[in-house]
Amino acid sequence: MSADGIDAGLEREVAALINREAMLLDRRRWDEWIDLYTEDAVYWVPAWASEEETTTDPDTQLNLIYLRNRGGLEDRVFRIESRDSYASVPLDRTVHLIGNILVESVEADRIEASANCIVHIYGKKGAATRGGLYDFEFRRADGALRIARKKITFIDDRLEGPIDIYHL
Amino acid sequence: MDGTAYRGSFRDLVDDRVDEGVFRVDRSIYTDEAVFEAEIERIFEGGWVFLCHEGQVENPGDYFATEIGRQPVFVMRQKDGSLGCFINACSHRGALLTPFRQGNARALTCRFHGWAYDLGGRCIRIKNEESGFSDPDFSRERFNLRRIGALGSYKGFVFGSLTDDVPPLEDHLGAAARWIDLLADQARDGLEVVPGSSTYMIRGNWKLQAENSVDGYHVTTVHRVFASTISHRETRDATSGMRQTESGRIKGNVPTGAYDLGNGHMSIWALHTTPHVRPIYESKDWLEENLDPVAADWILNRGRNLYLFPNVMLMDNPSTQIRLMKPLSPGLAEVTVYCIAPKGESTAARAARLRKFEDFYLTAGMATSDDIAALESVQDGSFGRLSRWNDMTRGLPDLVVGPDQDARNLGFEPAGCCPDWDHEGLFHGFYRAWVDRMEDGNAAG
Repeated sequence: MSADGIDAGLEREVAALINREAMLLDRRRWDEWIDLYTEDAVYWVPAWASEEETTTDPDTQLNLIYLRNRGGLEDRVFRIESRDSYASVPLDRTVHLIGNILVESVEADRIEASANCIVHIYGKKGAATRGGLYDFEFRRADGALRIARKKITFIDDRLEGPIDIYHL
Repeated sequence: MDGTAYRGSFRDLVDDRVDEGVFRVDRSIYTDEAVFEAEIERIFEGGWVFLCHEGQVENPGDYFATEIGRQPVFVMRQKDGSLGCFINACSHRGALLTPFRQGNARALTCRFHGWAYDLGGRCIRIKNEESGFSDPDFSRERFNLRRIGALGSYKGFVFGSLTDDVPPLEDHLGAAARWIDLLADQARDGLEVVPGSSTYMIRGNWKLQAENSVDGYHVTTVHRVFASTISHRETRDATSGMRQTESGRIKGNVPTGAYDLGNGHMSIWALHTTPHVRPIYESKDWLEENLDPVAADWILNRGRNLYLFPNVMLMDNPSTQIRLMKPLSPGLAEVTVYCIAPKGESTAARAARLRKFEDFYLTAGMATSDDIAALESVQDGSFGRLSRWNDMTRGLPDLVVGPDQDARNLGFEPAGCCPDWDHEGLFHGFYRAWVDRMEDGNAAG
């Protein structure tokens, strides 16, 4: 047990999963990346509603990305792999650096965690470095921890170049 | 701006000899600093530009801060319900008066030295006035905010001009007004701007964004991958109802058209193959009962993109969008997009509209990101000036001068009509308006 009462083994397992996701994205191992998510996983990148607040309700407010299930992730990968997307050929290079991983709550098989991410991007028009706050919900299925929900508060605006799943 | 004054004739940059089968533009118009400086002065700061939607300044004290050309302004809803628009700079030492892009204020107080202005731009407070302006004749009136030259609203869409030397807004909009009607009139209780927006930078010239927004010809190449991705999704998920995406237009097998609407405004349309998956379809009965049947048919069955010279696009295609553009340099433009939607539409329709918006539009979407990459590529290619011209003659033999039957039926007077959105005649109107405005200085238009 760690000081906050969360099992240290679970903390390591959560950190490994978050780090693994970043590695799979940076190394373009798309199919393994998708397998980290549950079938009904929600993938959500809110838009900014003002300088200080993001949108909070996907049914009534605009988002940068709101995918209702794992199929939405598959769509993104399908488009990238088609090699027919102007914005994705050549593909931007990315490096994710994850930090501040914290398990926030544990309830039976439902685990919530937060993390920070810095993504360095190099593309046709040069380099950019962007930041995001991750809020995860994990579920254990058949013994393995899977991502059931990922919300990315993407702090940048006035965005240059495309924003796709590997930039986030 | 003597240092960057353009030394040639702007007319020479557009080779307009349609009678001889020639219409082409010099690629330097996308890259030349002096051309850009003249555009800011003569087009953006010299005539009507779009500012915001009235829904963004609904109640007294609501403000919306933006720019006209490079000049910061804010639109303010007045106590009597009218609109005011002022230069967004304290009359004292020039600090911006609005802390946020959008907000509400009883008065705007400068955060630098504490001077305050009421909603009508009157200077109502000067910190320590007595100890600094002791002249007995002193009046704060000399520090009232400067109003812009002209301000007008058409069906909720607000336009302004720094100069008062402009034609009435209705004359500026001309034939394009009927196309605004098609968006505004579909909402029984009016349109609203949905919370949330996205701002992105286009590393390309603002005119390339204008061209791209009403370029039907790229759809079957640049958005082929969107159509195949969606088709893959809908087969996999057996998607039904409003969750489906209308992609007939992308496959290139539907009737389409394009218009030169005059004064630089342009539009395109394509017939929807599956109009029932569009959120507006729930209003079909109301539209058919209350609107002119031709307009109702256009609203329900034709996807439309409208470009209003020089800085806004109103899209009603996969979803509904205001796309506001600010030119920053020859090779850089800032774009902010909003979803605009009928007030009171069903929860299911609103959610479907948002998902379609996020799928297609946005730099995080699966189509707009490809548009941006394509036009940025044109920007880079435009430096290849040994090959001087971009050609815009496609469809010339079929170009109709004046209205076609569709335009007569709907009731608008375009300058030119293309019977296929693959044709490029609409751009002739855009570049003719561009030349006129550039040659005439801050003249009408």
